[in-house]
Amino acid sequence: MKLSMLQQSYLNRRTNSFRSAGGPLDSSSDGAIKSPAAIFWLVLHGLCCLISLVLGFRFSRLVFFFLFSTSTSSNMYASPFRSSVELVKTLDVHSVLPTNPGKSFELPVVNKTATNSRVVVGRHGIRIRPWPHPNPGEVMKAHQIIERVQREQRVQFGVKDARTVIVVTPTYVRTFQTLHLTGVMHSLMLVPYDLVWIVVEAGGVSNETAALIRKSGLRTIHVGFNQRIPNSWEERHKLESKMRLHALRVVRERKLDGIVMFADDSNMHSMELFDEIQNVKWFGAVSVGILVHSDNSDESDQKQGEEENQRMPIQGPACNSSNMLAGWHTFNSLPYLGRSAVYIDDKGTVLPRKLEWSGFVLNSRLLWKDAEDKPNWVKDLDLLDEDSDSPLSLLKDASVVEPLGSCGRQVMLWWLRVEARADSKFPPGWIIDPPLDITVPSKRTPWPDAPPELPSNEKVVINLPEPTVKHTTTKTRSRKRSSRKRKHEAKTTDTQVSTRHQEQN
Amino acid sequence: MGSVERSKKKVQLWKKAVVHFSLCFVMGFFTGFAPTGKTSIFSANPVFATSNKSHSTPQPVEVSSGEANSRSGNVNRTLAETPVPVLVRSEELEESKQQRRKEESSKITSRKLVIIVTPTSAEDRFQGVLLRKLANTIRLVPPPLLWVVVERQSESNEQSEILRKTGIMYRHLVFKENFTDPEAELNHQRNVALKHIEHHRLSGIVHFAGLSNVYDLDFFSHLREIEMFGTWPMAVLSANEKNVIIEGPVCDSSQVIGWHLKENSEGNADVDTERKLPIQISNFAFNSSILWDPERWGRPSSSVQGTSQNSLKFVKQVVLEDETKLEGIPPEDCSKIMLWRLQFQTGIAAVEDQTQREGRKL
Amino acid sequence: MKIWMWIFAAFVLGFAWSIAAEQGLRTERISGSAGDVLEDDPVGRLKVYVYELPSKYNKKILQKDPRCLTHMFAAEIYMHRFLLSSPVRTLNPEEADWFYTPIYETCDLTPNGLPLPFKSPRMMRSSIQLISTNWPYWNRTEGADHFFVVPHDFGACFHYQEEKAIERGILPLLQRATLVQTFGQQNHVCLKEGSITIPPYAPPQKMQAHQIPPDTPRSIFVYFRGLFYDVNNDPEGGYYARGARAAVWENFKSNPLFDISTDHPTTYYEDMQRAIFCLCPLGWAPWSPRLVEAVVFGCIPVIIADDIVLPFADAIPWEEIGVFVAEEAVPNLDTILTSIPPEVILRKQRLLANPSMKRAMLFPQPAQPGDAFHQILNGLARKLPHDKSIYLKPGEKILNWTAGPVGDLKPW
Repeated sequence: MKLSMLQQSYLNRRTNSFRSAGGPLDSSSDGAIKSPAAIFWLVLHGLCCLISLVLGFRFSRLVFFFLFSTSTSSNMYASPFRSSVELVKTLDVHSVLPTNPGKSFELPVVNKTATNSRVVVGRHGIRIRPWPHPNPGEVMKAHQIIERVQREQRVQFGVKDARTVIVVTPTYVRTFQTLHLTGVMHSLMLVPYDLVWIVVEAGGVSNETAALIRKSGLRTIHVGFNQRIPNSWEERHKLESKMRLHALRVVRERKLDGIVMFADDSNMHSMELFDEIQNVKWFGAVSVGILVHSDNSDESDQKQGEEENQRMPIQGPACNSSNMLAGWHTFNSLPYLGRSAVYIDDKGTVLPRKLEWSGFVLNSRLLWKDAEDKPNWVKDLDLLDEDSDSPLSLLKDASVVEPLGSCGRQVMLWWLRVEARADSKFPPGWIIDPPLDITVPSKRTPWPDAPPELPSNEKVVINLPEPTVKHTTTKTRSRKRSSRKRKHEAKTTDTQVSTRHQEQN
Repeated sequence: MGSVERSKKKVQLWKKAVVHFSLCFVMGFFTGFAPTGKTSIFSANPVFATSNKSHSTPQPVEVSSGEANSRSGNVNRTLAETPVPVLVRSEELEESKQQRRKEESSKITSRKLVIIVTPTSAEDRFQGVLLRKLANTIRLVPPPLLWVVVERQSESNEQSEILRKTGIMYRHLVFKENFTDPEAELNHQRNVALKHIEHHRLSGIVHFAGLSNVYDLDFFSHLREIEMFGTWPMAVLSANEKNVIIEGPVCDSSQVIGWHLKENSEGNADVDTERKLPIQISNFAFNSSILWDPERWGRPSSSVQGTSQNSLKFVKQVVLEDETKLEGIPPEDCSKIMLWRLQFQTGIAAVEDQTQREGRKL
Repeated sequence: MKIWMWIFAAFVLGFAWSIAAEQGLRTERISGSAGDVLEDDPVGRLKVYVYELPSKYNKKILQKDPRCLTHMFAAEIYMHRFLLSSPVRTLNPEEADWFYTPIYETCDLTPNGLPLPFKSPRMMRSSIQLISTNWPYWNRTEGADHFFVVPHDFGACFHYQEEKAIERGILPLLQRATLVQTFGQQNHVCLKEGSITIPPYAPPQKMQAHQIPPDTPRSIFVYFRGLFYDVNNDPEGGYYARGARAAVWENFKSNPLFDISTDHPTTYYEDMQRAIFCLCPLGWAPWSPRLVEAVVFGCIPVIIADDIVLPFADAIPWEEIGVFVAEEAVPNLDTILTSIPPEVILRKQRLLANPSMKRAMLFPQPAQPGDAFHQILNGLARKLPHDKSIYLKPGEKILNWTAGPVGDLKPW
């Protein structure tokens, strides 16, 4: 109690200068004139006690300061209050010192003498602190500060009253799936708004995909689509459209409220896209940068590549001078005539559709059966042709499309299609089992007197370079089986998936 | 206390008072020593001492005005902070409180620094897109992380703009030298980054991340576990190819017992491991202190001087000399692939690919 | 009895005073945050008469070296230009409150662009001689109602080395004048009572051109670009920045949170806008352009310069917007900065976002209400009305025209 009082008075004085320190004293002396002397004395007594307490406290800090400060400088302006932290720090260091003797210390060189004038002209010591740094705890604290500042910036300058983002992604298990889908997943994980990710998987829900998207920690709706991805690009595009429509039906059934966007598993996103689509009222379009993967196999292609270097082809809304939708930029496929890929196995360039789905966003209420303020220019989802090429077919009138991203001038989304050959195989779950062949032996020679058994503690194995006899450089050696249950489970499920996958192809 | 002597009637009283005062003084004196354990009021906010009025309670807006009132009268209104919608503020407040609680609990987990080095090239027409994509991944890695992006100085500030918007703690290094050979440029870029790390004596795990790399986020936590050198398998995927190429170490637990490498098209299998690095640059990571404190790793410091022109070479050399220090990750037989590379037939990716093939021939 | 009580009360009060005063010394480096003063309009509150000097004192010098327009000391030139077209200017010296002598004494640059103020004392002396013979106003007060812009490192001490500057002291002829200077350090012979401390000149258009959107996430914890050691002028080390900058480098180069380096990138201004703290350590003088840059770019200035007197300290609440770290405490910089509560940091950032603060730090062309020019005028206006005692009796002389080093007495 005494201590807290002390602290309070101390804090008071520290925060305010004379004004508040003088205030209470003033009032108490004023009161003394009116009240009996006894009370006055009591108050005064108490006050003086307090003052001497504070004085004692300060004095002790001073003593503290002189006793323990590493620097010989005794400049009074470095008040004991200011340096209390440093003192504590210094003390810590002293206790830490003996534990890491390997460090060489550069003790502070100080030739600063105490002077009355605060301006000390001349040479000063360069203070180098002896304790190791950076302090990991402080590094974490700093990162928390940065995070807090960035969060505050988002609150101040970011989108207010953001709507949920509903992302529709068609996918299927294949060699490139993990590579592609991971990229999209990471973008979605960064979105600062509520997000629902509808993953439609061709060939039915697989553990492989489920395991992958579970890692995102996002709210996901993983639905299967009972059709396999066909081998021709044309057919694949068509099937993907159907899968997206399927996802839209999910949106309608569950009455998900928000902005629907279409993210192919191989799309690449700039984070600004997710802010920009918050501006859509009903139906918006953004520009899509088309990354054309070209084969450098023949000479003419290389020239082509250089031409493309000038400008990346863009697909999306075109505006007139008054920033109204005037038409569409489409991908010019003429240069690729006859060289584009027809089948997924083909070596040619994969070309985008006239307008890719990923270039459109829409308000999910457009899909609802009974939304109150639903505009009348939207078609019902059920009446839609199953082969519809782009979400534009949802509209009776394409002029209502809102061009986003500075009227399509800003590209925040990229399209790329690269796949391995359809018959390509990959280790299920990307877990290598059985182990790979050793093509280059490790040059480490086995230790003759090493124990034949592996130490039971795995951690030790990691830390100690203690090769055992078993570590011969042949591939016929008996491999230590991991006892981890988890791993075994993963393996079994993954094998199932992969067998299914293989029969699918 | 000069007034004491002059009092005659109240000697008794004074004596009592003096005893009280001195008692209090002594008490204060000793409490002064106590705060070493109870530093909360001081150490939590040392700035309080330096900037006099940082005493805010969690409500910044109210406090600022309240504070202003408690000060002198001539405090202006114009200085009040730029207005923020109050509703958002209070929500934010709640959130921040929760956040703080979370922070408090996570305070104990201090992690090792990860230094990601990414060379970029203006020749790569996909670089902007790929940089954004890689940034999205890196942004998700828990701090502390430092991203070192190396680029040739150019008029365009496209790269800087992309990086700036990511919110990642990065250092954008530029160099002026011109290179005709993209491979030499790439090597130079890596060396520029290593020079920076060496000059600043940054301490962390260095990993070279090409723009077309795709990571499983678990990779980075494994990266942090590396003591000195770490290596792992990587899958290289190429368009329209049938085969997935997996290259990297073959391990028993975390011990590297050999390497799995694709044989060169030229045929001669890599036998002469003395002179070349069996692993690709994206296949391994190392503790940066090897660059500026080689003695710690049992190497004479003079060797750094000799190789100061080419830190990259030095690092490779050290890895090769002592394979026992190599740790395979993940520790379960290096069997999980957490890094994929997409092979483009364009720009820097192609160059990197080429270098790596060359690298094995060196 | 009553008397005793009073004596005792007075004693206690005095005691409290002394403690408070001691506290005050440290915390009241800045004399309060009378921030509304920033919005004051000086027009109508003072009248300034601008002496007409031969162009060799100003325009000709500038013609010789146009670089003077862009360096840190350009305030002397822009102040002149501003006053010529300002509504506070009066053409009638009889009604003037203040007299201004337009002289560009800092505009003498070495090939490297560093100003050498060797000629300044003679030039100053020559101009004062001129105005005191051509007009009656100087002799009336011996300069007490005159102000001079002396933006050099150590103000009117006119030397670039602090030791020499202290030795020289303020030019004797300017003893009574009001000085407008960038130099500011408490208890320093080169900072006279009543001087107005101004920010150094930073190019407003250039800074404007490098503005980036305020929602750009701040991802640098501590930022600094500049010298740590001045090897050329201080080969021993320890003189430059009193060792503080060297200490910053030695202690924090290996801290990834400290983005510190000697090379100036092309994205310097942009980087400041994505930093949370910007170090503003002293150099040869306690001030640096970083102060201006930090405020303009919303980066919390970390001021490492003991006893610095900051620009417009009576109008800008530096204690509220910045962080003060003692030179001695530099090795603890990380601890100090990381233990600032986030709320305090956010509050400082909000205050920094206030446009009036940014305006007060710049000398824009053309002038804008509330800019640094106006703050100077406000400062001058607050000194009005002049005390009657400044006017000398007929025949009274205070200034010693022959004081100072012999070299200064030579004609210019």
